[in-house]
Amino acid sequence: MSPASAIARRALGDSRVRNAAFALFFLLYAYAQAVGYRHSYPTLGDRLEFAKTFGANKTVQLFYGVPHELRTVGGYTAWRAGGIGSIVAGVWGLLAAIRATRAEEDAGRQELVLAGAVGRGDAYAASLAAIGGGAAILWAGFFLGLLAGRLDAGGSAYLALATVAPVAVFAGAGLLAAQVAATRRIALELAAGALVLAFLVRVIADLSTGLGWLRWATPLGWSEELRAFAGPRPEVLTLPLVGGALLIAGAGVISARRDVGNGLWSGRDTASPRLRLLSSPTALALRGELGSFAGWLGGTAVYALVIGVLSTSFSASSIPASLRQELEKLGISITTPSGALGVYFLLFVFAISLYACSQVAAARHEEAEQRLETLFASAVGRRRWLAGRLALAAAGAAAIALTVSIVAWAGAASQHAHVSFGRMLEAGANCLPTALLFLGLASLAFGLFPRASAGVSYALVTAAFVWHLVAALLGAPHWLLNVTPFQHVGLLPAQAFRVEAAVVMLAVGAGAAAVGLWAFRRRDLMGA
Amino acid sequence: MSANDPIRAFGLTKRYRDTLALDALDLVVEPGEVYGYLGPNGAGKTTTIRLLLGLHRPTAGRAELFGIDAWRNPARAHRRVAYVAGEPFLWPSLTSEETFHFLARVQGSTDEGYRDLLVERFQLEQRKKIRALSKGNRQKVQLIAAFAGRADLLILDEPTSGLDPLMEMAFRQTVLEAKERGQTIFLSSHILSEVEALCDRVGILRRGRLVDQGTLAELRHLSAQTVEVTFEGNAPTLDGLYGVHVAEAGPNALRIEVSGSIRPLLERLARERVATLTSREPSLEEIFLHHYDDSDGRVPG
Repeated sequence: MSPASAIARRALGDSRVRNAAFALFFLLYAYAQAVGYRHSYPTLGDRLEFAKTFGANKTVQLFYGVPHELRTVGGYTAWRAGGIGSIVAGVWGLLAAIRATRAEEDAGRQELVLAGAVGRGDAYAASLAAIGGGAAILWAGFFLGLLAGRLDAGGSAYLALATVAPVAVFAGAGLLAAQVAATRRIALELAAGALVLAFLVRVIADLSTGLGWLRWATPLGWSEELRAFAGPRPEVLTLPLVGGALLIAGAGVISARRDVGNGLWSGRDTASPRLRLLSSPTALALRGELGSFAGWLGGTAVYALVIGVLSTSFSASSIPASLRQELEKLGISITTPSGALGVYFLLFVFAISLYACSQVAAARHEEAEQRLETLFASAVGRRRWLAGRLALAAAGAAAIALTVSIVAWAGAASQHAHVSFGRMLEAGANCLPTALLFLGLASLAFGLFPRASAGVSYALVTAAFVWHLVAALLGAPHWLLNVTPFQHVGLLPAQAFRVEAAVVMLAVGAGAAAVGLWAFRRRDLMGA
Repeated sequence: MSANDPIRAFGLTKRYRDTLALDALDLVVEPGEVYGYLGPNGAGKTTTIRLLLGLHRPTAGRAELFGIDAWRNPARAHRRVAYVAGEPFLWPSLTSEETFHFLARVQGSTDEGYRDLLVERFQLEQRKKIRALSKGNRQKVQLIAAFAGRADLLILDEPTSGLDPLMEMAFRQTVLEAKERGQTIFLSSHILSEVEALCDRVGILRRGRLVDQGTLAELRHLSAQTVEVTFEGNAPTLDGLYGVHVAEAGPNALRIEVSGSIRPLLERLARERVATLTSREPSLEEIFLHHYDDSDGRVPG
């Protein structure tokens, strides 16, 4: 085996869990969309009505993009599954690229590899091969999901290709960020910024009249313009391919010229002392997490603003009563600004739950880096330390929830929508029981099986959310629908706050956190 | 043994899945002592320290720091303890100075004057971020933070790995200062010269078992010492002498290894025409190798 293929195999093996999880998500999601549409809208008449009302709705397009063909199951699936899928593929691309390059350098392993009988160019190409292999797995997951949903093979292969296409560009962006930033974390933040930007451009292009041409400026728009199941335009594929190739080549040139282990931009290595937030481990954790918190806050606030502004785009008269029930089967009942906000605030429940998990993952990172040994060799108790981290996570979640509710209210108010400020604050607070439930479950995982805990808790939240979206479409029995906490979240401000559900979630979360604290106190500290 | 001994371990045992990392360790380190904990890589030194600090949970037995159970009550047990980890993992985005500040708050106390002196002695650039420091420099940050805290007990896990010889001398000076002040030091190491120069007592660990323990003099006494004798004629045969082993024999010279008392040998040699006689105590290295020599239990030649 040549050195380069050894590198590629190791990188691919390293990411097998992530690749499998994304491919599984693609498979289930693609399948559910195809089956769900065929089931809910069996006739052409149903589908035409759907296209006229729901398909033309701006708030819906915000997430799924512009539909090109809603008369066929394939066209619908291309819109619903492809629109979200291309974003997920972009996320996968940048994660994979940074994991295969900067993360290795950041950990100091790349020096060892490059000290072997392999040139930098070959090592870089090997990382690319690993990313390409992973993308092929993603494609296969999506393709199989579509086939299982009884779509034709050729169209399915093309739709899967269109959906995975953004990987080329965002892996390229990730590779470039990996050249610029000196740490994995900063590289991730840079590349994620590029993805958010691409998404916002697509949103503006899809939603503003006369700005449709802007779709050509974002890789996520290219996936739409490939028009799977709606008059395919395969020539558009040259855009992601050429764009990705340019980014990858540019990153390769930089990679061949710079110092291994450093980034082009590496910040200052010396600094005058800043003694704020050094008084306790919790204060230090706050200091370390402020940057990432600002990112979460900024990202969710922009979303909240867009949702608030668009919340008036539905009018009750445009949706016939007969259709409303069908929409409810899809989990949607948007007829008023409150209704729209209620539906889309579920997304914040999900996002804030993810934030809670990210905080436990950050705590685990401290342990994996073996810094906790130094800390716990002093008079710091383990339970106090973890409780401090959890309190910090809860406070951060509350701050994000408060911010999104105020910003969304302001967005709605700017459109003269009648949404009560108090109800919006309630909608923000409504995010917290679920987030705290997952915070508790994440700390339980951290206490019981630290090495897998971050992956398990992210996967748990995502699976619970996706299950909530697709379970009904799959015809799951009632008790199976109810296993996901998202099923029990009231759609505030449209619906009432569900007190019992909140109490149960908080109790389970607190219990899980208590067991997590207990288990963490009783186990060995574990390095990476 | 008293409840105020800085370190006490009773049958301390740790098993990781099917590896027995530490096997029924009994250990007492008394106040003011510098205790050298010797062993090759993988012998269980770091495991011992993690158990002593309550970072890992003993499979059996227990460890006490100043009479407080390290696993049940770690925060209280650590009040008078400072620790230097084997690998200098610190917070990469903090500067050295910020790290000192933070660790001082966490440990509860620091002697700032002494810290400044140590920063000078170890020639540390305080405003550099940890991520920009070499391994040796990060090691210095840990050492300065630990010694500046003036803790009653210092637990040091291979503290000089990564230090250059000049800094190694600075380290020895700092240890001797701490000893003079009455601080207790538990020094895990595989650098024999360092242990020989600093430690009052030494424990030798082999595959998770404490195979020997005592002052250097005691260890020497128990180990063989080497006597080289030349004769003004043919060398005699020395059969039947208790504890005497001829390691090398020339026509008129012998190299003899003696375990236990040297008197029987001297009495025997008194009857011979000895030209020269040199005797040297075994170095710690020889004692150490003695314990790791699997062949015949004798000091390798």
